Order: sequence, then C-alpha cells, then structure tokens
Amino acid sequence: MALELIGIEKSYPMNVGRKHVLRGVNAVFRKGERVGVLGRNGTGKSTLVRILGGVEAPTRGTIRRSMSVSWPIGMAAGFQPALSGADNSRFIARIYGRPAKETVEFVESFAELGEYLNMPVHTYSSGMRSRLGLAISLAVEFDCFLVDEALAVGDTKFGRAFAARLQRAGLILVTHQPSLVRQLCNRAAVLDQGTLTFYEDIDEALATYNSL
Amino acid sequence: MSQSASRPLLIDCARMQLRVIGALIIREMHTRFGRHRLGYLWLFFEPLLLGTMIAVIHQVRGTDGIRSNFEFFAIGYILFFNFRGIVNRASGTIGANRGLLYHRQVTLPDLFYARHLIESIACTGVMVVFVFAAVAMGGEFPDSPVKMLASMGLMFLLAQGLALMIGAATSEWDGLERFVHAMSYLMLPFSGLFFMVDWLPEWMQEIVLWVPTVHIFELLRDGQFGDTYRPVYDLSYVAGWILVPHLLGLAGLRLVRNRLGLE
Repeated sequence: MALELIGIEKSYPMNVGRKHVLRGVNAVFRKGERVGVLGRNGTGKSTLVRILGGVEAPTRGTIRRSMSVSWPIGMAAGFQPALSGADNSRFIARIYGRPAKETVEFVESFAELGEYLNMPVHTYSSGMRSRLGLAISLAVEFDCFLVDEALAVGDTKFGRAFAARLQRAGLILVTHQPSLVRQLCNRAAVLDQGTLTFYEDIDEALATYNSL
Repeated sequence: MSQSASRPLLIDCARMQLRVIGALIIREMHTRFGRHRLGYLWLFFEPLLLGTMIAVIHQVRGTDGIRSNFEFFAIGYILFFNFRGIVNRASGTIGANRGLLYHRQVTLPDLFYARHLIESIACTGVMVVFVFAAVAMGGEFPDSPVKMLASMGLMFLLAQGLALMIGAATSEWDGLERFVHAMSYLMLPFSGLFFMVDWLPEWMQEIVLWVPTVHIFELLRDGQFGDTYRPVYDLSYVAGWILVPHLLGLAGLRLVRNRLGLE
C-alpha cells in the first residue's frame, strides 16, 4: 500500500509563456511512513500537496494511490466558511461515509474548540481552523494524512495528542519549519527548483534545506 | 493522469456520488435557510404572490374567472420559477463551493445536481399545494397529474443542462453572468407561461415552437386541463434541448476543473 508519483510535472499558464512549478517529481510514500517535505516559500509545496491529494491534475505524469489518503489538510482547505465547525464536520463525515454524530463528538472532544464548535468557521483563528481540519481527518481515519503547513501540529497540547494518534498511520507533512519535521517525521525530503530529493537521514535533509 | 491501482467498481462510484450529492443537499439547505426559517416559506410565497398577481390582472381585464386564472398562471409560474431559479444560480455555484473541491470525491457536476434537486423538489411541493388550493377553491382535479409531474421533470432537466453550460462558461468569462440574468427575464413573455400555442396566429406558432419551454408548458396544460385547450408539443425536440447542453456542459466542466486553481 502506497502513494506513488511517477514523472509528475506541473505548469501554469502565465501572461507570457508558462510557469513550471514541478519538473519531474518521482516519489513513493509507503503506508506507515511519516515523511516531512521541506520547501522554501514559492517552491511549489502547495501545488505538490494538491496533486498528492488528487484535487489538482498534474500537467504530465502518473499518480498511483493504493492506500486511502486524506484531503490536503491546512488552514482553509475543505471547509464552508459560513457553516459552523460542527456542520462542516457532519458534511465531511457524510461524504466519506462516516457516521455524522460520532464524528462531531470526536471533534468536540479532540479539537479544543469549546463554544466555537457551533460558530461559523470564518470566525475561527487560523490555529482553530487547522485543529478542526486535523480533528475531522482523525475521526474519518485514513492510511495517510496529508498535512499542508498546519499550525496546530507544533509543540502544543493538541500537537502532542495529534502526534500520539499518528503512531499507527502515515503522514506526509509539507512545511517550511524544520522543527516540525524533526518532531513528527521519520523520513524527509527537500523540494527545490521543481524536483523532490529524499534523504534517509533527517539531519542530512535539514542540513541541505538550511543551506538553500 | 492519476489512476488508482485497483479500479473501483461502477456501483461503488455511484454510491459515493449519491452520498456526496446527499451531503451537499443538506449543506446547501443549511447555508441557504439555516439561520432564517422564513426562507423556506419564501420559497412558497414568491411564486404564490407573483402567480396570484398575474391572475388578478387578467381578472381585471375581464378574461375568465379568478380561479381558472389562478390555475393557469400561478401553477404555470412555478414551472418558470424552477427554470429561472436553476439557471440564474448557475454562475455562482462553483465560486460558492470552491473550498469543498479539496475533497476529491466532490466533483463540479455534483455541486450543480445538489442545487437543482433542492430547487425542483421545492417547486414540486409548491405545485402540489397549489393544485389542492385550486381544488379547494372549487376547481376540478387535474386531468393527468402524471403529465404535470413530467413537465416539472422536463423543466428540471432542461434547466440543468443549460445551468451546467452556464456554470462552465461563467467560470471562464465573468461578464456572462449579467447577460444570463437579463436573458432569463427577457424570455418570460416567450416562455409559454402566458399563452397556449393554439391561441396564436399560425406564423407566430411556428416561431414560438422553437422555444423549448413552450413545449413543456403545453405538456403542463395538457395535464392540468385535458381537452379544454388544444395543446401542441413535441417531446423529442425537448429531449434534444436536454441532451446536447448536458453533453456540452459536462465536457465544459471537465475542462474547467483542470484549469481551476484552488487558491
């Protein structure tokens, strides 16, 4: 069971010509691996996450998905801002075929939102949004969690609870914060100039990233 | 292009799509009516009010009684209301739901189907209420309720095909939206709501029969009044107007999906 990228290229049309964001990314993410993908701002991290999550098509290349992968969990992703956190939880539970009531109960006990659970998501701080997204995804349960720069996974109470829950599942964390990769991941890669390079040793990846 | 290692069965896909559409319907009801319960009532009042007003105007001009005018115009208006509701909402559908596209099982057509179903179910409900109201006012029971429901179904499908096309087109060209709104009002006199084809001179009949909604209104009146009028319609012509826009619209949405950035 894995998520495999073969020769993924992505370019966007610009006023003049095209902007090449990804230039041939090859990768295999196996079930249970916790991979940190490090990239500086503007290197195509979010594009990569959306392609991994299957919500944006690559310009060229193949994706093979033989395990369940979450939607790209980030600060804004996947919510209807006018609806409450509870309503959003119900909606997401329904489209993934999960019981709505239990999902809301789990989110209530896990996301530390308090009264805000019944407030519209547009009133949330970015930290609250990312806690909501992570909590819902944990309730739905995936083989692999795809996390895009979620603030809440840091060294907070929630972050530690999240890390504890991840022990059995896989993670692809795309971030520009080396400390998160050290805290949560057992493998690391660096995204630079449109290609992804894997390092078996996390320290080596961090050293490369820091020298960019 | 992306592919799964083991291809899912068609039945599983269908089940997932139904699940998504069901969830979208519940969500849409919440966003549209959640905070104001009166919203549901407005759904009834708008066609009731406008339909009754038109009936009163015709009453004052001295044609027929208020009851048959109510049956003709108020019930007819619901059909037009359904059409306009679906078509006019098409341009905002993608923008309003962009965040949900982060879930890969949510597809662009699903967003449209959910909205159209809400609109049509509500309008069918209003129609049933109106029919019974008309009977309570001393009218006769419709000649063929099945034909009336079929006309509602055809109107839903016709509007849906057009809405898919409009949704795809407006996501590329913003300005089109205003044009669509203007058109939906301008076509009111030609829609078939205000006349039976049989009432018109022959040269006008040939022209109005190019308009697909005219056929659908004729079918409605056939179901409502039976032999009282002489309805003229060709359902295969309407079927063409349903199929071709569906194909173009779905193809267009496919293109749009690949071009759509998710901010």
